[in-house]
Amino acid sequence: MADTINEQSAAAADAGGDERLAHRGPIQTLLTRPEIGALLGAVGVWLLFWLVSAPFGTVGGTANFLDVAAYLGLMAVPVALLMIGGEFDLSSGAMTGATAIIAILLANDINGAGLGLHIAVPLSLAFALAIGWFNGTLVEKTSLPSFIVTLGTFFMLIGAKLGFSKLFTNKVLVEGLDEAEGYDFWNGIFGAEWLRNSHLWDTRKWSNLWLVRDEVWALLLMGGIAALMIGTFELTYARRKSPNVLAGAVAAAGAVLALVGLIYLLAQDGRTSQWIGGILVSAGVLAGVAGWCRWRYAAPTRDERGTSPGWWQYLVSGLAAVVVAIVVAAVMNASDSSQLGFLGGSFGKFVFALGIALVGVLAVVAALGRITPGYPALGAVLVALPSISFLITVQAARVILFGGLALLGIALLWSSARRVKPSVMVSGAVSLAIVVLAFFIQSEAASRKLRVELFTVLLLVALLLAASAVARHLSAVRTAAPPPPQFGRWMHVCAALGVAGVVVFTVVELADGDAILYSLISGAVKGGILAFVAYALGTLGRTLLTRDEGVGRALITTGIGAVMLSVASRLLFVTGSELDKICNIGTDGELRCPQTQFGVVVLSFLVFAAVGSWLLMRTQFGSWIMAVGGNKEAARSVGVPAARTKTTLFMMVSGAAWITGMLIAFRLTAVQADVGDGNEFRYIIVAVVGGNLLTGGYGSALGAGIGAVIWGMISQGIGFAQWNSDWRFLVLGALLLVAVMVNNYVRGRAEKAPTTSSATRPDKTEITIVVPAEPAAGAKEGQQ
Amino acid sequence: MSTDFLELRGISKFYGNIIALTGVTTTVNPGEVTCVLGDNGAGKSTFIKILAGVHQHDEGELILEGSKVRFAHPRQALAAGIATVYQDLAMVPLMSVWRNFFLGQEPKKGMWPFRQIDIDEAKRIAKEEMAKMGIDIRDTEQSVGTLSGGERQSVAIARASYFGARVLILDEPTSALGVKQSGVVLRRIVEARDQGLAVIFITHNPNHAYPVGDRFVILQRGVSLGNWAKEELTQAELTQLMAGGAELEELQHELAEASAN
Repeated sequence: MADTINEQSAAAADAGGDERLAHRGPIQTLLTRPEIGALLGAVGVWLLFWLVSAPFGTVGGTANFLDVAAYLGLMAVPVALLMIGGEFDLSSGAMTGATAIIAILLANDINGAGLGLHIAVPLSLAFALAIGWFNGTLVEKTSLPSFIVTLGTFFMLIGAKLGFSKLFTNKVLVEGLDEAEGYDFWNGIFGAEWLRNSHLWDTRKWSNLWLVRDEVWALLLMGGIAALMIGTFELTYARRKSPNVLAGAVAAAGAVLALVGLIYLLAQDGRTSQWIGGILVSAGVLAGVAGWCRWRYAAPTRDERGTSPGWWQYLVSGLAAVVVAIVVAAVMNASDSSQLGFLGGSFGKFVFALGIALVGVLAVVAALGRITPGYPALGAVLVALPSISFLITVQAARVILFGGLALLGIALLWSSARRVKPSVMVSGAVSLAIVVLAFFIQSEAASRKLRVELFTVLLLVALLLAASAVARHLSAVRTAAPPPPQFGRWMHVCAALGVAGVVVFTVVELADGDAILYSLISGAVKGGILAFVAYALGTLGRTLLTRDEGVGRALITTGIGAVMLSVASRLLFVTGSELDKICNIGTDGELRCPQTQFGVVVLSFLVFAAVGSWLLMRTQFGSWIMAVGGNKEAARSVGVPAARTKTTLFMMVSGAAWITGMLIAFRLTAVQADVGDGNEFRYIIVAVVGGNLLTGGYGSALGAGIGAVIWGMISQGIGFAQWNSDWRFLVLGALLLVAVMVNNYVRGRAEKAPTTSSATRPDKTEITIVVPAEPAAGAKEGQQ
Repeated sequence: MSTDFLELRGISKFYGNIIALTGVTTTVNPGEVTCVLGDNGAGKSTFIKILAGVHQHDEGELILEGSKVRFAHPRQALAAGIATVYQDLAMVPLMSVWRNFFLGQEPKKGMWPFRQIDIDEAKRIAKEEMAKMGIDIRDTEQSVGTLSGGERQSVAIARASYFGARVLILDEPTSALGVKQSGVVLRRIVEARDQGLAVIFITHNPNHAYPVGDRFVILQRGVSLGNWAKEELTQAELTQLMAGGAELEELQHELAEASAN
């Protein structure tokens, strides 16, 4: 029996195995995820506003747009889950306001004697869940489309909100939450916020360890990125039989060199030190990656390397790099008076810069072999000619220096590696171009923001690109998926440490006299960090000391965790260097800093996005959601309780609406009768931007969260950039369209084989177009 | 008397005064393919539904492993190891192969409330089971919508056999497929048979039935024309029976006369 099976599968492998591609690495897997378009869009939007607006990238600006995003995303995540389950809830927006009004009215105003918040708040939750259950049950029992049923509840809720508000208070404004009994307790939960500057690092305690105090987030970020990179290598490349000890030593030396360079960069602030630090880090990283790959991974055969691209491809890439450098230098010099430099100059220069960007893109396309090199070369000459008029003598000398360096590097690349994969060459050329650009900006830019931050970001991007090119050149791609990590016992140790940490830290906080919720959150975060540190150390040890093939995924988890910790500590704590800049000591000896706060809404949003993703991707319930949205009859026939799944989803949406309603109520203490109406439209848009299919069956909860962040960044960024806000909706609409189109394009390319979404559910397509438009139109009028 | 695994003796079904099926007698054994042939309206669907527990027979006996049974509900048939792969396949096209494979019966790990699907295990098993069917799925993460019709059929068959099916009923698995794809599915049927499953293959195409079948039942307008073992029948005879026997001869005769005139 077993023999025949083996024979059969062997025969099948012989017959069809050759055409099969290699094992898909983590990058390819990531590219097929539904939220990838939204993720790229979010990065693009962030970069755009970061470049054009000074306050956008600061902690204050981040807190500002995260707040807007959180109120949207808190609802968009469950709405996305419901959408994947094949249904809509148009009452979700009105429901947020309804729960707030019910809570305040019940607490204060019924017959003059209120019930108090201890009864009113749970009652409003019960009401929300009941409406959710009602929506779900009605949709299931009657088989009516959910947008009709919930449209009914939507209007009923609007009417009831206005009617009851007028009935009890004679006004459309329901107020007096802060006078209700039990306000302090519930405000401690829904009204809680994190005042960033009240939680300073204890500067006296750490004063001798300046590095830990100030730049712990930067080191965490770099460590996280390194872990992500090595994790990706582990999952992508094949291990060699016996490790090469010499190469391992080179890797270690490279890591030390990079670390020294990084510390030097962080410690010194000046143009020269940036040069030295940057070169040290780059050399260290590239040597480290080369050593690591030689130490661990099998070398590719000659055939796997493929053929070298033609000489013109290098020339085109190099030419593009030089031209970009020339023009950036010219533009920057010409607009020295502008603080931001980049877009501060005249319109003509802006158009000119766009033209340059286009030439760069064309050059890369040419290098990939899609078009003939003549076009970008011609374009480069055309753009380069007028750029000469921008030049002054000192700059001309620099351009010649940098251009010469770029060409020299390209020539070296070309002559030293005649058998290199085309993609490796393109990565190398592009990263070289970015390096040239980065150093040009560093030497020419007037503002510190461009000189330091943009330089660092560009250098980091170029380094990652170059490192991946080095790894691709040196390592053979793996043909089979690596086994899952064998982490059993160590995971238990970490979990135990985490639980113990949560308990101990919570008790310590409580003993310090802090509020319950604050102590719990703080204890949970600290316990989580403890468990994470144990996990990261275990992963590191396993990677370096054992021959376990499955460490790649653990490394990626570690990297994501480190990056998140880094961002969180950057946002939540004032670093020592910031302290000197933004705070001052008053005459009474007290430290005074501008306040930046994060409401509990941001925490709720992050928790929702994480839990929603976990539910969808990892649990049985998640599989059922996708199944009932994708093919309900099929799901039912294999035993999925479709009605129960959908009803639960409706109740999750209304439960989230309750949380949102409470957050709004405790922030404002007085609520308009029409608050939240029309927002269901936004929730759906944000979910679609995040890669969720309107027709159901496919999507991502995390994507909906990212979509909400995009919305928050755009709506706040327009203000930060001081663009005329009259045009706000035009810009918003255009950017949203672009986001969705990028999303579609990326997904289409990544999947290669066409999805059958439209073919399988033709009945729903025309319906869904009608859905958001109708209630939103009515609601908008009421709102504005 | 040798005991057959599943035996049908004179199974009949009436809907009011309509006779849907009368006198179907056949046997189904592990490692054998029993083909049920018939034109549209011949009673094939009724036959499936009786075995799958959707309907109950009114006359005759259904004998499973020596004891009389009567399935009151599809779950009972499933519990007895009789799995049906319907024409529409019961697949969710936008979901991955492994999710479809385990839908409704996901393997889980961890303690509540952290209970989650054991994805590695699910992927491994799905890949293994598909390999047993002779299909080397490159990536079980690939969505079912990207598979060909024959491959989808294979996923459904592999799923049924993994979840303990002993009798596999295939409802017109080749009817919607092209010539090449049909060949693939017929091969799957043979492989399921070789794995020791009893297969009931419903079709209206004698050319598909004859090469893989061990036993043939032909239905016509609700009446069973007979129950033959493969040795008792040639492919030509089967085709002729299937096409209506005497009626076809009459038609040939008429046509011959017409062309003579």
